[in-house]
Amino acid sequence: MDTLNELLNGFAAALTWQNLIFAFLGCLLGTVIGVLPGIGPVAGVALLIPLTLNMDPTGSIIMLCAIFYGTAYGGTITSVLLNTPGEAASAITTIDGHAMTKMGKAGAALTIAAIGSFVGGTIATLGLVAAAKPLGELGLLVGPPEFFALMVVGISLLVALAGKSMVKALISGALGLLISMVGIDPVAGAPRFTFGMDRLLDGVSFVAVIVGVFGLSEILSYRKGESTVVHAPGFRSLLPTRNEWRRSAPSMARGTGIGFGLGLIPGMTGSVASLLSYGAEKKFSKHRNELGKGAVEGVAGPETANNAHANAALIPLFTLGIPASPTIAVLMGAFLQQGLTPGPTLFTEHSEIAWAIIASLFIGNLLLVLLNVPLVGLWTSILRVPAPILTALILLFMVIGAYTINFSVFDVFVMIGFGLLGLALRHLEIPLAPMVLTLVLGPLMERSLRESLEISQGDFSIFLNRPISAVLIALGLLIICSPLLKLRKPKALTDDPET
Amino acid sequence: MSRKKVTAALAAAALLALTGCGANAGATSAAGEDFPKKGKTIDLVVAFSSGGAVDTAARLVQPVLEKELGTNVEVINKPGAGGQIGYTQLTSAKPDGYTIGATGSPSVVVSPLDPARGAKYTRSSFQPLGRQVIDPAVIAVQPDSPYKTLKELLDAAKAKPKSMTASATGLQTGEHFALAQIQETTGAEFAPVHFSEGASQATTAFLGKHVDILVANVSDVTDLTKQNKARVLGIMTAERSPSLPDVPTFKESGYDVEAGTARGYSAPAGLPDAVAKKLEAALQKAIEDPEVVKKMNDLGLQTSYLSGKDYETFWAGQESDFKKVLPMVQKKD
Repeated sequence: MDTLNELLNGFAAALTWQNLIFAFLGCLLGTVIGVLPGIGPVAGVALLIPLTLNMDPTGSIIMLCAIFYGTAYGGTITSVLLNTPGEAASAITTIDGHAMTKMGKAGAALTIAAIGSFVGGTIATLGLVAAAKPLGELGLLVGPPEFFALMVVGISLLVALAGKSMVKALISGALGLLISMVGIDPVAGAPRFTFGMDRLLDGVSFVAVIVGVFGLSEILSYRKGESTVVHAPGFRSLLPTRNEWRRSAPSMARGTGIGFGLGLIPGMTGSVASLLSYGAEKKFSKHRNELGKGAVEGVAGPETANNAHANAALIPLFTLGIPASPTIAVLMGAFLQQGLTPGPTLFTEHSEIAWAIIASLFIGNLLLVLLNVPLVGLWTSILRVPAPILTALILLFMVIGAYTINFSVFDVFVMIGFGLLGLALRHLEIPLAPMVLTLVLGPLMERSLRESLEISQGDFSIFLNRPISAVLIALGLLIICSPLLKLRKPKALTDDPET
Repeated sequence: MSRKKVTAALAAAALLALTGCGANAGATSAAGEDFPKKGKTIDLVVAFSSGGAVDTAARLVQPVLEKELGTNVEVINKPGAGGQIGYTQLTSAKPDGYTIGATGSPSVVVSPLDPARGAKYTRSSFQPLGRQVIDPAVIAVQPDSPYKTLKELLDAAKAKPKSMTASATGLQTGEHFALAQIQETTGAEFAPVHFSEGASQATTAFLGKHVDILVANVSDVTDLTKQNKARVLGIMTAERSPSLPDVPTFKESGYDVEAGTARGYSAPAGLPDAVAKKLEAALQKAIEDPEVVKKMNDLGLQTSYLSGKDYETFWAGQESDFKKVLPMVQKKD
């Protein structure tokens, strides 16, 4: 009961009109920043921290959390409408989100993304309220071997993303791993595949690769005469149909689970959550065959997972003082600047502020929906621009987006290069999603493998001796073998009447 | 809204965005008298992941710097390869004052010494602007560990070399040097596990009991000790730290080991004098700001300011020290 009381006090503190205005402003500013290409939540929050420095601690943290949600959602808007992810975590949303736009269902996609974010964020925050401490400790059980095993499960979802040919999926996956190797070796510091170019020491920028591979290559692949990029939606199609709602619900549930679980693990990022959620939809959704062609599940799952991850990642911050993801680390910086040290002492020393912030997480999630669902109409009106002009605008957007990642023209060339690569892959009918999956998971997998083997001093049995990692590895193997063993649902169940 | 109006509005927005970029890429004046231009962001490159001690210090200094310089200062994290990625980015930036970076030893001192690392910079690629802190290394065990004193721990490690894992943050990082110095002086050998993303990741693994020994800096363990989540057995410095008054030094326990990290801020070499002066003055203000010093203290970090020139001398001294033990921390396999 204590917790409930304190939470209610927190709501009382967060619901003052000043704090509500801060939350609202934060959501609005965040959304606008998110829509700007290249600037994701990390840069967005970091840019706006100075604005909040002279405010009182509660108000400023509330505003920053709101900015954080806003930017994450703003990134989705460009993914869906313009096929240009505003940030890494919404990259995978471009696949089905933009396909929905082309079918004239942009409004539905954006609404579902907003609702999914709300659901994921709210449930994760409930988890924070109900069981922060045990959940935080749970995250610590995941050491390097378990992390590696989890990555094996992630990579195994490549099977689900394969489409027609497994060989082609593996080619795509290997390509992603290869690209992820470019840059300085994280342990020994030796340059790999940099061909003596300083620019490549950092590796290639993920957002530039994604924009090129998904966005640019698609525009390049339009054939002459195929001038219509997208259909402008009619008013009615702004809202999802009842069928779309029904189909989204299980995806949101899966997305919440995946995002929440991964959020507890220090070192995971929002893009891993959204990618694995997409993989899970491909593998387990009833309508998995439609994924990639504008299925609402491909938006609902990743967007929910992304936001559930963002909110769950606050649990290690509040309970252990560990910033579990880059954005959280920026928030942690803001806490420190306000004289608040995140960690268990926050609740003993500044209990009122801590609970007000938690209350504001609920409010921020809600405000985001209230702000953005009515704005969906405004955003989608961008599609009324005639197709040739819109295509040019999208191209412009992509170039600016790639440029603003590091303010470097090099990234623009990376984007164009990967656009051409994407075009070639499309012609060869090699699926693009496996490449993105391995590109994101590769570095995390390498890191955890090396750490594990240093712990065991070279003994591979460490992955099988530890129960959590053994179970995860078995699960990964099961997923890989499932097409062979026909472990999928019996045919009668697959033939859903709705499809 | 009519179709034309929307198109016009979009075109205007695109134009606006483009001009914005143009301003950002604009040329700087050679003398740097007008540094910093209002509205032009100064990047503060942190070569370690966010949340670690280097990052936190930079984020505390950043608002005061903004006030002093009158423009935006953005902390940018470029973690990996024990700082080498971030330092490469820093030293390859244009020396116009709009890119500065946090520089920490031993990483910044050591990485160019080993040709195998292929570092593209040397000490002379940096222009030191000021030192902020020195942060001694410590060794800690799990709270339920059977080892109550440093001697017990080191004797056990001597009896069974490499039987215990100890955290480090990459080859030739401060923790790795500390481990090598312990081995050199006392004969106790631990098996290093490198957490390349930095101290917060190493601490997380220690909290989850995935490594036995935490080798870190005072600042990393101050909070953990308060929460009784780590038992610090020794501090590698001449005097006890005010943040951990109960922890004996290695010297007190009979081992002559001193190791630790020093952190400050530098720019790429070749800064115009006027720019360097402005940055140095602003940094001194920020580092010695009473609020910042207090918050650093709360985090277990002792502020120890040195001017750019003195920081450079200190840096050179460290370089010659590290050269001596370097062979021990180079990759053998």
